[in-house]
This record gives sequence, C-alpha cells and structure tokens, in this order.
Amino acid sequence: MTGGPTLDELLASSGHFADPGRRVLVTGASTPLGERLVRLLLTDSRVAHVLAITGEPAESFVVRDPDPDRLSVVQVDMGKERRIRNMLFGAARDRGIDTVVHLAQHRSAHAQGSRVHAFNVESLRAILELAERHPTIRRLVVRSDSAVYQMQRDLPVLIGEDHPLNLHGVLPQWVQDRVEADVTACARMGLSGLSIVVLRMAEVLAPGTGSQIFDYLESALCLRPAGYDPMLNLLTIEDGCTALVKAIFSDAEGVFNVPGADTLPLSACINSWGRVGLPVPGGWMTPLYRLRARLTGSDFRYGMNRRRFHYSGVLDGRRAREVLLYVPSHPIAWPGEDDAEGLSQP
Amino acid sequence: MPQLPSLSRAFANLALPDAELDRLRELHFRDAGHGFDPFGLSPDHVAFGQAVVSPLYERYFRVKSFGHEGLPQTGPAVIAANHSGNIPIDGMMIWSDVLRNTRPPRVVRAIADHFVPSLPFIGTFFARGGMVGGSRGNAQTLLEAGELLLIFPEGTPGILKPFRDRYKLQRFREGHAEMAIRHGAPIVPVGVVGGEEQLPALFTSRRLGRMFGIPGVPIPAVPLPLPVRYYLYYGEPIAVHEEFSPEDADDPKVVRAVAGRVQAAVQALIQRGLAERPGVFA
Repeated sequence: MTGGPTLDELLASSGHFADPGRRVLVTGASTPLGERLVRLLLTDSRVAHVLAITGEPAESFVVRDPDPDRLSVVQVDMGKERRIRNMLFGAARDRGIDTVVHLAQHRSAHAQGSRVHAFNVESLRAILELAERHPTIRRLVVRSDSAVYQMQRDLPVLIGEDHPLNLHGVLPQWVQDRVEADVTACARMGLSGLSIVVLRMAEVLAPGTGSQIFDYLESALCLRPAGYDPMLNLLTIEDGCTALVKAIFSDAEGVFNVPGADTLPLSACINSWGRVGLPVPGGWMTPLYRLRARLTGSDFRYGMNRRRFHYSGVLDGRRAREVLLYVPSHPIAWPGEDDAEGLSQP
Repeated sequence: MPQLPSLSRAFANLALPDAELDRLRELHFRDAGHGFDPFGLSPDHVAFGQAVVSPLYERYFRVKSFGHEGLPQTGPAVIAANHSGNIPIDGMMIWSDVLRNTRPPRVVRAIADHFVPSLPFIGTFFARGGMVGGSRGNAQTLLEAGELLLIFPEGTPGILKPFRDRYKLQRFREGHAEMAIRHGAPIVPVGVVGGEEQLPALFTSRRLGRMFGIPGVPIPAVPLPLPVRYYLYYGEPIAVHEEFSPEDADDPKVVRAVAGRVQAAVQALIQRGLAERPGVFA
C-alpha cells in the first residue's frame, strides 16, 4: 500500500552513477524489497548482470521480458552453508559477480530455532567468510534493521549509528538474530579487501516484508497503551531500494541508517491508515495481542514492540545523506490521509 | 475518528485571540512531514498548550516578566533557570513567556529529567509542546538545529527541596555549560520568584516515587497550587561562544567555572526578585 513515483521515475532520478558493468548478486530476491531491487537493477544500464537468489523454485521468480544475458535466477537454501558455498563459487564466480546484496532474513516474528538462526545469521557469516577469499566479489551490502537499536527512556529520540544496540535482557529470536547479524557484519569491516556496507533500515510499511507495524495495522481496531503516543519513522520499498542502489554504487564503507520519509506519532499512523485507535491500559496490551495472534494467526508481537509503543525513536539519516547521498523522497501513500490544514499550513 | 491535532486546533481557535493565532502561525519548526518534528512537537499542540496555560499565566499566577528583550531571537541558546515548587509550573510559565515575547515566536525546548517522557499522558502532552528527555543526544541535536533550550541545572533536587530551603540554589550540574560551550550557544540565566511558595510540601516520599519510577512524590500541604504571583527575571546572556572555543567544552575546569558563573547569575536575579516583590501573592 505504498505510493510515490513509478519505477521509471525512480530510475530516472538515480541515473547519475558512473560505474558501468556491475555484476550484482541479490539474496532474498523473492521478497518484496528484493524483487523490486532486481527489477530496478535490470533497468539500469550500469548493471551488466543480476544474479537473483531465491528460496523458491527459480521458475516462480517472474520478471517481465527478462534478458537472459542480464538476469539469472538460482534457488538456494540460505540456511545451508554448503549450498551458499556452492552458489558463490559456482554460479556467482561464473558470472563474475562483484557485489553481493544480502537481503535474506526470516520474516516471521514467531519463527524460532536453529534453522531460523542459520538462515538469519549463519548465512551472513558464511557469505562474509567466503566473499573475503572469492576471486571476483569486492563489495557486500547488508540489509539490517532499526530493530537492532535499543529503545529506552533515557536514550536520544534521534537514533544515530552509534546508538546503543538492543542487547537488553531476554529478547525474541527475531531481534537477537538481527542484532547478531548486524554485529557480525560490522566486526568484519576493514579486516580484508572486502568492502562492507550495513544499511540499518527503518521499518518498511508494506505487505510481505515482515513489518510488525503493517501487521499491527491490519486490524480495524488498533490498541495502543493509554497515555503514550511515540514518534515512529517508516520507510517505503522505493526508498529502501534507492538506498540499496546508492550503497551498491558508492565506494563508502560502514554503517548507515536508512530512514523513511514518514515521521509521525503512532496515533497519526493509525488514523492515516484508516484504522481506529483505542487507548487501553498498558497491561492489557500483551494478553490482548497474544489472543489476537492465536485467533487470527497474525505475526504482530506486542511484547517485542512494547518499548517502541512507549518511547519515540527516529532514525537519524545524516550519515547516509552526506556519504551515500541518500535522501528519503517517497512517502507512504496513506489511505486515510485527509487534507485538513493545520497551523503549520496556514 | 477525529485526530487529536484537529481537536487541539479547534480548542486553540476558540480560546486564543485571532492576533495570537496569527502570530503562532509564524512559528518555525522542523516539520518531519506530518505536522510534527522528530521529537513530537506540533504547532497545533503548541497553540493548544498556550490556550491551556494562558489563563494560568495571566489570571492565576499573574506572571510579571523582566528582561525578556535580551532573549536571542534566532540561533541556539540555553536558558538556565532555578527549579522549584514540587511540580514544574515554573517550566510552563517560562515556556509561555518565551512564546509570547519572541518574534517570530520561539518554542523553548525544555529538557526534562529522564523519567518525564515515560509518564503517561504528561510525557506526551509536554512532548507535543516541545519538551524532550534529558539525554545528551537530544540536547545536542536541538542545539545543532539552532533551537532554544530550557534547562534547570539543579535537576530534581531543585524542584523537590524542602520548603525551608526555598530560594537556596542546589548545586548546578554542568551539562548545560558544556553543551553551550561546545555548540557556541549563549546562556541566558533566569531567576524565577514565586514558584517556591506555590505548593508547599509536608514531605517528599521517596518510597512512593520508587513505586512509580520517579525520584519522589511530594505530599502537598495544600490541595491545589496557591495563586502566588510569578516573577521571571531574564539576565544578560552569558556569551560563552565568544569567550571559549568548542574544544574548551572538554576542559572540566572551564565547564565548572561557567556553571558557577551561571549559578551566581541566577542567584543574583533571585535576590533581586525577592527584594523587589511586594509580597508572595502581590
């Protein structure tokens, strides 16, 4: 349910890079973000080839008018190190891949166990290790998540890249894995010839992305803790792709926050999405949303989001703006947006 | 379901005169896209807050303000004031006074103790009016953006001190001085007179405070704040940005000396106010 300019407009706006002939591997290519990125790269004349890695059969990955010289699709189980090794030193080496964009993450907040951990963390560890001695790979772009940051009442609202990480107490595996993957990538920076970029993205408000807020907003009635209305920052797939493309073509290394164009209070988010917000005592939230998850099978876990339903947290995108030249420019197309004028718009 | 800003706007439109509404439309703020800045400030809520506070400011506490002409109209600055009275009415009066006495209006960003943003309703209400939690990162971001900060360098020991210690400044913390030096912001000392007598407390319960996650709960001797008259004395801005370089912010001696100067300036303003006021309620 995101809007903004079309893919063609997006491409036209990102046409100033001057690094022709990139050969890019994208893991998690069948996710909404991965699929859009692959399409974007295919229409970019500076990209010579895209190797799309999907978890599903390769035939199910459909791109309009695919050019077999510029796109190949390979099914790989990213939870298995041997398959990753075979892919990197097989299909990727054969195609001369120079840049890996790692987007594969398990999307369900309820999924847990060693298999999920292998998918979320060990796959990245394997890519890091193998890419360092790979004959053609020179750059790795890792998609991370704003969930890696700690939310606490005495921490700044504007979250910079040096903000404390979410290592607090007993956390769901969904969060633990994301923090571990992020730290794993950061720990390898500067230790080899592999150039590593970690993009800590704001939550993408779109279906199929594993967005907790999207799942929360699926309900017609959205409960929120009474007395709290924290500020959120949300990202569109278009802006996420723009940041990834900029990271692919940049020479910069390091960690970058990727905020979205929408910064607003939770109540405004609920209203703008056309939902009814109902403040309830904070103690009711966990049992009510646990019940909702059991009855409807929804993925939203209030316990995992409790702090950000109380404390504001907005990604500070200064570093990405200055180094990657990334500026969020695709706001969410809110279905319930009204055009009422406020004091700020006389 | 109507959004809160619409209700706020409707209330402000009813309660504030047209001239004040027009003036508040000139308010500058960093709109993050939906009528709020990244910290949650909203011009609609600022107008709402002014509509709520104005009767208290004008009729109940009958605030008299001196020296506000020296308030920086643009650029980063730190207002440092004494804190008193068990509940932060002094902050609300300064907030309203600065809003009234700056052209275009400036919203002073009060830096609150860590626990305030986590208080239900109160934290959100204050955040919409510009308050932020007391972290170094928040203050730094706001000063870099050229905002006007309000800091009570005494912290909670100032507001929760016993009645017998009224108008005795507690030791000033140093964060305000360090931030001002680092970001080239002048410090405006403010002496608040009247707040100490607004709500005398029998005692302060630390145990109750622990239950609510706050430093203490004052047990007041009166059911409501008394209609004392507030006096706000703004001193000459201390131009730390002209005397020191940003690197001096790392020198503990410099920072301590500046904090001491600010404390002395606030103390002098308080003494002036106490000498000039005809009585607690007058």
